[in-house]
Amino acid sequence: MSALREAIVLPFLLLTVALLAGADIGTAVALVPPTVFSLVLATMLIVALVRSGAFDPARLMHGSRPPLANANGAIVLAALFAASAQLLAMLTPRSGLPLFFVDVLLFVLLLNTLVSEPDRVRLLRSLAVTLGSALVLKFVVLAAVSSPAGGRMSRVMIAVFDAATFGSITQEAHAPASGYLAFLATALFLVAVALLPPVAYPARRMELEARRRTELERVPDRSS
Amino acid sequence: MRESVVRGVGLTASLLYAAVVGWLYISQPQTVAHVTGGFASMVGAYEIDREAFDDGLRFFRRGQYVEARASFARADTAERDARTQFYIAYAYYRQGWGRLYNDDALFAQGLVAADKAIALAPNGRLVVDDIELQMRSADELRAELQRGLTREADDFNPLKVFRSRK
Repeated sequence: MSALREAIVLPFLLLTVALLAGADIGTAVALVPPTVFSLVLATMLIVALVRSGAFDPARLMHGSRPPLANANGAIVLAALFAASAQLLAMLTPRSGLPLFFVDVLLFVLLLNTLVSEPDRVRLLRSLAVTLGSALVLKFVVLAAVSSPAGGRMSRVMIAVFDAATFGSITQEAHAPASGYLAFLATALFLVAVALLPPVAYPARRMELEARRRTELERVPDRSS
Repeated sequence: MRESVVRGVGLTASLLYAAVVGWLYISQPQTVAHVTGGFASMVGAYEIDREAFDDGLRFFRRGQYVEARASFARADTAERDARTQFYIAYAYYRQGWGRLYNDDALFAQGLVAADKAIALAPNGRLVVDDIELQMRSADELRAELQRGLTREADDFNPLKVFRSRK
């Protein structure tokens, strides 16, 4: 990985995500710190990145690297954690049943990723789908359900839906800019994750694939 | 050599950027003026608009408290000057004070401004050298506003109509 990417591009992208994802635009702009649960989810996400080989922390911090390079690596690690926590907190609905279900869903998805150990490309695709779905759910679906503007019919439907769920579905209305900001933060985060230094030589995976190839070669060709 | 320069510049820039992000989270600025004023006050370069402050003081002494607050707000756009915030709090107090009852909404806003003034003053101590004011310290003003917002048996004392505004 180039020094430029490690020392400038990645910290800038990740810190920008940490800033944008924390912005809660309502009647006033507030910067909301991440919840404890989003810190747990961020830890799981980083572990999943490491186990899949999408991110090799040893390429950022290692005894063989000069102190200045290790300091750059430490900044990237800290920024990655902050950005992950803020992004996951931003994509989680603020209250009610959606908060509970999205938290559980993200937890189970990350746990499943940890257990299944996908390779780098599959993990990045899966992450894009997970974060994209959470974004659509919160800033498109729930925002539409909670929107104070809308036709009479829409308002009646929302009132009925809200009453049926004891008022636990609708969320606080977002400013129109929130969705755009969330989209930008998510896109920047995905770019940053794709730019992280991957495992240079994924030994275990190579070993598994070699074993699988050997086993396939042993199976007699029945077509002949 | 070139790589170490890039790494050094990157480290400095990242630390600065991280400090800015951290500061934004802590100080929660609401406007661009708050952000620029906050940075300026960090390096000791923040100054209020003297002319607007003098206008505010003139309005304040004439009893035009809404106009005074508007001028003070224009003078201290970043809300970083303890003295201006003190006068804003005092304007809320004077406008909200009543012989029979106080305006709780104005007193509550005054309390917020008084808290801001105390937080901005060095070591939280603010004394304004203005002979026309009966309360010259931010602590007195804050206590008076707090008292005005508290419900107590003494509120029903009929002799309270003889008290005077400070």
